[in-house]
Amino acid sequence: MEEQIKEWPEPFSTTGDKTSTFDNLRDQVNAWLKEGKVDIFLGYKMVQGHPLPHCFTKENPDETDELIVGKARYSLEKMAANIAAQRPEIKIGLLVRDCNQRALNVLYVWNQLNPDQVETININCCPSRLKEHGDCSYLEPQPSGSYKKQVGIDNNMDVEVAEEFSQEERFHRWMYEFEKCIKCYGCRNICPVCFCQECSMEHNDLIATGTVPPEVPIFHLVRAVHMAGRCIDCGLCEDACPVDIPLRLLYRKVNQVVSDMFDYKTGMRADQSPFNILGDEVTLEPKPI
Amino acid sequence: MDYKIIPSICSYCGCGCGVLFQVLDGRLTGTLPMKTHPVNQGKLCIKGWNLHEHVISDKRLTSPMVKKDGQLQEASWDEAIRITADRLQAIIKDHGPDSVGVLVSAKITNEENYLAQKFARAVVGTNNVDHCARL
Amino acid sequence: MTNSIAEIEDAACIFVIGSNTTVCHPLIARRIFRAKEKGAKLIVADPRNIHLARFADVAVTHRLGSDVALLNGIMHIIIKNDWHLKTYIQDRTEGFDEFKAVVEAYTPDKVEAITGVVRTDLERMAELYATNSPAALLYTMGITQHTTGVDNVKSCCNIAMLCGNVGVRSGGVNPLRGQNNVQGACDMGGLPNVFPAYQVVTVEGNNKKFAKAWGKELPDQVGYTITDMVQAMLDGKLKALYVIGENPKLSDPDQNHIITAFEKLELLVCQDIFLSETAEQADVVFAAVSVAEKEGTFTNSERRCLKVNKAIDPVGDALTDWEIISRLSTAMGYEMSYEGAEEIFQEMTPLTPSYAGMSYERLGLDGLQWPCPDSQHPGTEFLHANQFARGKGLFHGVEYLDPAEMPDDEYPYFLTTGRTFSHYHTGTMTRVSKNLDAEQKTGYVEIHPRDAEKLALQNGDTVNLTTRRGAIQAPARISEQVKPGLLFVPFHFAENPANALTNSAFDPIAKIPEYKVCAVKIEKAA
Repeated sequence: MEEQIKEWPEPFSTTGDKTSTFDNLRDQVNAWLKEGKVDIFLGYKMVQGHPLPHCFTKENPDETDELIVGKARYSLEKMAANIAAQRPEIKIGLLVRDCNQRALNVLYVWNQLNPDQVETININCCPSRLKEHGDCSYLEPQPSGSYKKQVGIDNNMDVEVAEEFSQEERFHRWMYEFEKCIKCYGCRNICPVCFCQECSMEHNDLIATGTVPPEVPIFHLVRAVHMAGRCIDCGLCEDACPVDIPLRLLYRKVNQVVSDMFDYKTGMRADQSPFNILGDEVTLEPKPI
Repeated sequence: MDYKIIPSICSYCGCGCGVLFQVLDGRLTGTLPMKTHPVNQGKLCIKGWNLHEHVISDKRLTSPMVKKDGQLQEASWDEAIRITADRLQAIIKDHGPDSVGVLVSAKITNEENYLAQKFARAVVGTNNVDHCARL
Repeated sequence: MTNSIAEIEDAACIFVIGSNTTVCHPLIARRIFRAKEKGAKLIVADPRNIHLARFADVAVTHRLGSDVALLNGIMHIIIKNDWHLKTYIQDRTEGFDEFKAVVEAYTPDKVEAITGVVRTDLERMAELYATNSPAALLYTMGITQHTTGVDNVKSCCNIAMLCGNVGVRSGGVNPLRGQNNVQGACDMGGLPNVFPAYQVVTVEGNNKKFAKAWGKELPDQVGYTITDMVQAMLDGKLKALYVIGENPKLSDPDQNHIITAFEKLELLVCQDIFLSETAEQADVVFAAVSVAEKEGTFTNSERRCLKVNKAIDPVGDALTDWEIISRLSTAMGYEMSYEGAEEIFQEMTPLTPSYAGMSYERLGLDGLQWPCPDSQHPGTEFLHANQFARGKGLFHGVEYLDPAEMPDDEYPYFLTTGRTFSHYHTGTMTRVSKNLDAEQKTGYVEIHPRDAEKLALQNGDTVNLTTRRGAIQAPARISEQVKPGLLFVPFHFAENPANALTNSAFDPIAKIPEYKVCAVKIEKAA
């Protein structure tokens, strides 16, 4: 199901230069498309100086010469799940980093994507604490401003450090962050593992609609609760947040609870059912979104 | 199977955020923020995230319409254009070009605005051109 | 905007006046938050307690329509404390002494009496703005939609020049554009007095240049503004109106007046993507395409010309706006036959000096900011770097004037109008969107808890709002976003049309109506 490309010398060269490793990758995708191992391959292509997600097809396999690996990280797995929901018969190839892979694992165990429909090429570049080493752009986080450090939560803070604040101070700091919210729903929309048809964040009975900021902290805490056992720490939510709320830290905390209490390591395996933690394993038929 | 990502610009407010339209088999299925865009840097507001929804609304106009017996009815382009051209020309003939006004739009493109004011000035022959910048 | 969106992040002070930025320009609000978090000072002045005010170093809710007095009051304090930038004033501006004489009279006591803003807040605003450089001033329709709109804008320019903030990175006077291509529509000559790039129609050279390019003699008298057009319709002078992508029936002030005007037209032609309230009344409706179905360019608030790319085919028989205009023009005997939007762009750029250096290829996905006069020019991040467009920046001594309508015994409340975060303008695009509609399904009236108590109102109770021009019903939303004595109605909703209430009195120069202020009566509906 997956093939690892080892020894990735310049994983973030976005120049489109043909290094031997790029050739390797391109050749492999090209071969997959030509052989029919996959019908499409979701990767990246440079468009007028911007790395954009791109769907390479078997109809046009030589376009793989333009396949790149760049700093940009889009939710290719969410695109794959959306495509698969419409076209369950096709095989989808995917360029994945470790976070994409964890997202895929979550989609598999929640029966949102059929693993038989997916082929991946994995590259190592994971910034998560779940992983020792990584080369992703998110490993060079932007420093938080002085005022934010003073009254809010530094986006680069560890859970442990954040917990050193007194409960009252922690509350005020988080409320500062939440109150900036412009209610774009970007955190949910970008999330590769948000797939519910009905979303609690839109439930008028739970959270009043029509105001900015939304009701705080309930709006953010409802989402945080739903991220327990779901979040794979890819950082896309925080990256999509127009007001720099440290969402990743928040969800890391809820996931830590799940890990501590149930020994459930979200996204780390494609065969550990989340339903196990409540008792006997429940098996469901694969049911796309 | 045809899946495309088309970079474009949000058409709501004046920020000018970069968006990516997701197109599956010719149907617009979603909007994403463009990560490397100089304005929005991979973020959008609620309107931007839902930009595709108005495009695919079933309330979209799909054909020109002409009022007949007090009711707007679907018409061909040839008919709608001919009726409009004839009536505009008659009004210009009877009352002069300044009896016609053209409201261009803050929603259409530069090219279309250029053409619309050219139409007013060169074809109708009036400077009665304005839009909603004031509104 | 004189400056660029990204520059806001590096300002030392940001002064937001008459802009509900997190609601109306969320991705510009992002830059304000980032600047604040890096240590910038934030000043917010708005008659409502807007979201951004929570994060301000000083936030005031000045009385509706009192902006000139507020700004004069702040400038009075700056000058008294000798905080103004004298070298800049001397080298780059003129008219300072006359201006200073006017501001002299705006003592804190006088200003507090007009605006309701206390002396300590005025002093704090003055100090923060004047002593943290560069300071960026941001405003929107809260400044412009007044009978004193031009005076308000002049006052914003005065304070920026007073502290040397024009022509510097991260400073400037920055009107945030409300619609995606307001900037472009103005740049392209969508105005009664100018050709593209603000080349005045009455100047012979300009007229000849365009007449030659278009092969047609052109009118050399300034035309009607939208405000004039309504009156001309009522007077029977304007017989035909061609409306492209607008919904004046909901968006213009004093709706009843507009409806009467439209009824007098011999021909109303509407071009839109939806059957808007205005289109329903039209004689002919042209079905146009949306942003996703065409090529072209938009110019954003920071003068950045950006390329729009076609994602899907037009729905049904809809045509692009340029194709419709071309067909109509050809049918009227002036042939227009363009291959595509790019060919029109190529015709436009040589006639439009600020866009002359642009091409689709150069725009790419980042766009280019005008002025971009030649094909080597990188575009312009901020304006007036070395000198003002007119040479020296001109100070204007501006006296405060009351809005056209003030509350009285019969209509005792102030009413103001504006946007909500999930909707846009007359709602034609947003109310058909499931997710946006779900956030806000109806109009409402924001009322302060104290006023609600006086009227024995519960949240959601229906109220009647009446002004000298019309009446609407809407549910009450009890909120501390408004002060006692002030009501707010969003203008997106045809069933509670805010513009049935608004005043069509307009600024004598800009002809912009006073949407932001009128006097209103409120009663609980029976």
